[in-house]
Amino acid sequence: MSAPLLEVTDLRTHFLTRAGVAKAVDGVSFSLASGEILGLVGESGSGKSVTGFSLIGLVDPPGKIVGGSIRFAGRDLVGLPPEEMRALRGRRIAMVFQDPQATLNPVLTIGQQMALALQAHARVSDRAAAERAAAMLARVGIPEAATRLSNYPHEFSGGMRQRVAIAMALLNGPELIVADEPTTALDVSIQAQILAEMKALARESGTALIWISHDLATVSSLADRVLVMYAGRIVESGPVGEVLRAPRHPYTRGLLDSLPAMAEPGQRLRQIPGTAPSLLALSPGCPFAPRCPRADADCDAPPPRVEADGRLFLCHHPLEAAA
Amino acid sequence: MTALVEARALTRRFDPRLTIGDRIAAAFGATVETRPVRAVSDVSFAIRKGETLGLVGESGCGKSTLGRMVAGILPPSGGAISVDGQPVMRGGHKTTTRIQTVFQDPFASLNPRRRIGATISEGPIAHGLVTRAAAPAFVADWLTRVGLDPAVATRFPHQFSGGQRQRVAIARALAMRPEILVCDEPVASLDVSIQAQILNLFLDLRAALGLTCLFISHDLSVVRHVSDRVAIMYLGRIVEIGAAARIYAAPRHPYTQALLDSVPKLRLDAASVEFRPIAGELPSPLSPPEGCAFHPRCPRASDLCRRERPVLTAQPDGTEVACHHA
Ligand SMILES: Nc1ncnc2c1ncn2[C@@H]1O[C@H](COP(=O)(O)OP(=O)(O)OP(=O)(O)O)[C@@H](O)[C@H]1O
Ligand SMILES: Nc1ncnc2c1ncn2[C@@H]1O[C@H](COP(=O)(O)OP(=O)(O)O)[C@@H](O)[C@H]1O
Ligand code: SF4
Ligand code: SF4
Ligand SMILES: [Mg+2]
Ligand SMILES: [Mg+2]
Repeated sequence: MSAPLLEVTDLRTHFLTRAGVAKAVDGVSFSLASGEILGLVGESGSGKSVTGFSLIGLVDPPGKIVGGSIRFAGRDLVGLPPEEMRALRGRRIAMVFQDPQATLNPVLTIGQQMALALQAHARVSDRAAAERAAAMLARVGIPEAATRLSNYPHEFSGGMRQRVAIAMALLNGPELIVADEPTTALDVSIQAQILAEMKALARESGTALIWISHDLATVSSLADRVLVMYAGRIVESGPVGEVLRAPRHPYTRGLLDSLPAMAEPGQRLRQIPGTAPSLLALSPGCPFAPRCPRADADCDAPPPRVEADGRLFLCHHPLEAAA
Repeated sequence: MTALVEARALTRRFDPRLTIGDRIAAAFGATVETRPVRAVSDVSFAIRKGETLGLVGESGCGKSTLGRMVAGILPPSGGAISVDGQPVMRGGHKTTTRIQTVFQDPFASLNPRRRIGATISEGPIAHGLVTRAAAPAFVADWLTRVGLDPAVATRFPHQFSGGQRQRVAIARALAMRPEILVCDEPVASLDVSIQAQILNLFLDLRAALGLTCLFISHDLSVVRHVSDRVAIMYLGRIVEIGAAARIYAAPRHPYTQALLDSVPKLRLDAASVEFRPIAGELPSPLSPPEGCAFHPRCPRASDLCRRERPVLTAQPDGTEVACHHA
């Protein structure tokens, strides 16, 4: 078997704040092959975005990668000189943010921005750049793409701006795209269009995709594998169908049971009690223990890491495996 | 059963606010937008006592505008809203405390400089539901009922998490003893686990207090969960309304069908899923298409659809649909 495109090992990204050290990402490991779609799910504050920012080298102080490695196409990105990271970013690794405003420059036309993105990494004539930009906009479902190149970002609706941001990410044919909740703010009809496009892209161009989302339904229909994050750690991972059909970690079970789709209409939902813990004051034991129905004295000690048949979970008292 | 809330031909236009500069520019022939936004057009419906009507539709279709008119906080440009036959607004002012509202972003709707205890008791004191002396006990009772520690009464909104703030907003609305609650995206900005907690709180209090509700959300699974009946809006109009179970099982309007089809569903099998997006974009409410507003995106559109606007028509099963070819 060939080496995976991306191999993250024991990644630790901490925020050194005045109130203490927030261990936003604390010992995260996973790998990703070309053409694979990985869903990263978890509650707000669990460290999903910080994981994404770590991969593309955009962790700002007081945040810092304090340990681990990120091997991408055979090279460790941790400790890579900033100019080399910049050369990779936008060309071989691209990120789509929740807010397209973060990507788009309000004072340049879409065509100018896309040309700059292309010309930053290769010698491309203005005309060829315009052609490639228009083709990419058409691909993400922007009607009359060629004429829209002369529009400014504010002349697009929110959904179209997000599609433009996705087109920008795709422009240089990256091998890896990190998409951070890119459709959360979009209407279902536009979301479906973007999901269809992303899936086709991974299948046809072999692009690897990390899809960060708190929406299990979207991840279940898009991803090949899923990572479930809680308090800075991956608490469960595996093929998406298997994990959602028969989760082994009580937190994954709790997330699923919280969904209205899992209950009879009008009936109470099986909620997870309490809220996510503060990352500043984590005990050495299982961080989910205060909210876990299976917790006992064993859970005061760090949970074991159990790995078999492509599944992984960190728990003293896992749920039954599927029959 | 008779209707408790009745909306009759509700319409709301927003006229563009033209500055003097705009007017001068327009006089010299510049393109300045002078057309009104037709946010809600000719919407009629009834909500029976104890019933929850869910309202769904894409962003900008007019859900919040309709909700604010029902709540009596936005005067309609045309039509009227009544409770038990009594108008909710008179002379541009709300005339009743029987309807209260919970919004998506409680941070925006809670006064940041006021302790939440004062926020909760303010309305009830003003309306004589509680005396100033009895207010602390009253606030403690409501905080307990929404699952908060009574000791938090002295805190400010920023000291709460999103889910806790939504509990405060619910306590504030219910402390006014309304019979009718308008909820506009009350769980949209919350994590699934917190969303489940708030939905459970809503279900519990609705049952305990016998509330009648208008529940607005763009999340079809949330609306399915809490609603007895649902209304689907498109570009300012209701296109289908009826029993939730029936509409989700067998939608009749092509837009409802497309909307339900395009929602990603929780898949527990390994089968590959095809996403089926709705073709085209939501048209602008400044210039809604002639005839049926959905015709540019509708696979069944005919000449008739391009010419004539379909009206809501009752089907044999009681569902009402606005479509020439449903
Ligand atoms: N105060 C206002 N002035 C001008 N236009 C307005 C105003 N309020 C709403 N609109 C317009 O009315 C239409 C309906 O808006 P509304 O807020 O009711 O939509 P919505 O369905 O609640 O959308 P969302 O799902 O995004 O909350 C939109 O086109 C909006 O831009
Ligand atoms: N700029 C920052 N300063 C301090 N702490 C931060 C900063 N950004 C993120 N964090 C911490 O990292 C944690 C994880 O954040 P994030 O990755 O954004 O969560 P998610 O994307 O899963 O919602 C947060 O709970 C927060 O405590
Ligand atoms: S280790 Fe214990 S507390 Fe943590 S998830 Fe497992 S059973 Fe629950
Ligand atoms: S009236 Fe015509 S265009 Fe409108 S939804 Fe029905 S079939 Fe489609
Ligand atoms: Mg995030
Ligand atoms: Mg709204």
